[in-house]
Amino acid sequence: MADDENTAQTSPTATTTTHVITVWDLPIRLFHLALVAVVLVAYLSAYVLPENALGLHLWSGYVTVALLVFRLTWGWLGSHYSRLQSFAYSPAHILKHLQELATLRPVTHYIGHNPSGALMVFALLMVLSIITVSGLMVLGGEENQGPLAGIISYAVAEHAATVHNVIVLLLLAMVVLHIAGVLLETKLTGQRLVRAMFNGRKTVPLSTPSLPLRPARPVTAAAVLTVFITIAGSVLWALSTMPASGLITLPANTAYEGECGDCHSAFHPSLMPIASWAKVMGGLDDHFGEDASLDAETVTDITSYLTQYGGEKWDTEASNRFAILNPAKPLRITATPYWLRKHSAIAPAQFKLKSVGGKTNCGGCHRDQQSGRFDDQNIQIPKE
Amino acid sequence: MKILLILALGILLSSPAQADPRDDIIAGFKAQGAGDANLANGQKMYSTTYGSGKPDTPKCTTCHGATPQQGGQTRTGKAIDPMAVSRTENRFTDKKMVDKWFRRNCKGVIGRECTAQEKVDFLTFLASQ
Ligand code: HEC
Ligand code: HEC
Ligand code: HEC
Repeated sequence: MADDENTAQTSPTATTTTHVITVWDLPIRLFHLALVAVVLVAYLSAYVLPENALGLHLWSGYVTVALLVFRLTWGWLGSHYSRLQSFAYSPAHILKHLQELATLRPVTHYIGHNPSGALMVFALLMVLSIITVSGLMVLGGEENQGPLAGIISYAVAEHAATVHNVIVLLLLAMVVLHIAGVLLETKLTGQRLVRAMFNGRKTVPLSTPSLPLRPARPVTAAAVLTVFITIAGSVLWALSTMPASGLITLPANTAYEGECGDCHSAFHPSLMPIASWAKVMGGLDDHFGEDASLDAETVTDITSYLTQYGGEKWDTEASNRFAILNPAKPLRITATPYWLRKHSAIAPAQFKLKSVGGKTNCGGCHRDQQSGRFDDQNIQIPKE
Repeated sequence: MKILLILALGILLSSPAQADPRDDIIAGFKAQGAGDANLANGQKMYSTTYGSGKPDTPKCTTCHGATPQQGGQTRTGKAIDPMAVSRTENRFTDKKMVDKWFRRNCKGVIGRECTAQEKVDFLTFLASQ
């Protein structure tokens, strides 16, 4: 283990003659840069860009997974300093290094990852794995998309969302700590660590005892990756073919679409709890200030349709969120706290656009409202 | 089977042209006691502000176009085709639809059901537009 290879350490005082060696091979440097880029995209698409940038966010997640898989493979078959084994220090060793750092006096330089850096690498790998897995769970349970759509319920996804949202903040803190650590080590060891991150090279004393350095095994690594991708890909593909849980197919109902689509577009039945629908249907002659009365037979027909397919029969983000009503206006979707929150940033003029008409025309902006999905990627406020 | 279909089609095509469904609907109102149409009353009905029904809908043109030739808009923003038959050909051709909307809109705007006479006046006026 790494502890046996402490001989790889060099001390800055031991410089007589030095030479330059490649510590970080090209794949590991590219991996590092790609990870920085993709994590940046993930944060931007989540916090800065509008909701319909979910597609970009998902891609950043998928690329992160690919990078993690690569890193683990390379941590096994890469060149010496990329191997996880080369920087798996014992806890005691890590503690000792941290104590040394705390004195803020010059510390031993490690050619590869130093013990605190190694700790950070393992922590980052762990945290990124949790983030991507919890992200996939949220995607499956809340958005009914992705490989886990068929297995994860909305309730489970809500817990995953909490984990996801907390851990991404932790990651942010770790990134800051990581950069601070590099700067501190740079100062205390006198080594140009940041430059080494780009060109892979470090200047080390000639006296550095030579190690049984292991070269990378790119062919084996490629083979392992191929096998892994084939197996994991097949499993994910098989999972993706499962129907999304909680998303039933809604049969057409001409009475509902015709009669309830006369004045506003007919709302998707999943958007209100059954009891609310029943109340709406029981008071059609005074319907939000209008007479929307129908003959008794049609009322019965539509009521039974809405009872059969009302909110409780679904497990989508919309059905769950809109189940929380506004007690003052229990018959309105557009008065629920969630609806108000999600649409608070939209200017009134945008609801008045000719092709939208009003806030009750959900389909004016949600191109997939007929399925009840209300996916982020399908939100588009028309130009006019 | 095919022969039967062709036969049926032939009978359909050769039968005399169907009566105008609008005439049937108006005849139905006349059977309920309405007399001949008064176009001026129909026109007045279209643009009068009643204020005796629901507060949000004081007149027919709250939703229907300012003139029969113009399109209108429901209060939720959905477009309504012009009421003039010259602009919207299939106006007042479906008895169920005519009954449904007279019931709703008269109650909503005037606060009571329209009389058969009012319905005849209204329809005939718009058929002439
Ligand atoms: C005569 C016109 C008319 C018809 C027909 C009609 N509605 Fe409405 N509906 C309205 C109006 C007006 C509103 C209030 C819209 C507003 O204030 O923006 C409304 C609002 C609603 C809302 C609340 C929307 C919100 O703000 O969240 C629901 C739910 C609803 N209607 C259901 C139905 C159903 C179910 C039917 C069929 C039985 C139906 N409507 C038929 C005119 C109509
Ligand atoms: C003028 C366009 C517009 C109309 C009309 C509209 N929405 Fe939205 N809706 C949006 C936008 C934009 C967002 C994304 C807001 C954000 O970025 O947080 C959104 C978000 C949502 C979301 C959350 C989606 C998610 O997964 O985060 C739901 C659910 C939703 N709307 C339902 C409705 C329903 C139901 C109606 C009709 C009663 C409706 N919307 C009418 C524009 C509209
Ligand atoms: C609250 C809005 C609203 C008001 C006010 C209103 N209407 Fe309507 N009316 C509609 C809608 C919506 C339709 C059906 C849409 C269509 O026919 O294009 C309709 C249709 C009709 C129809 C059936 C048309 C057909 O082709 O069969 C008649 C008749 C009618 N209205 C009469 C009236 C009369 C009379 C008044 C005034 C006393 C009135 N309406 C006021 C909204 C309204």
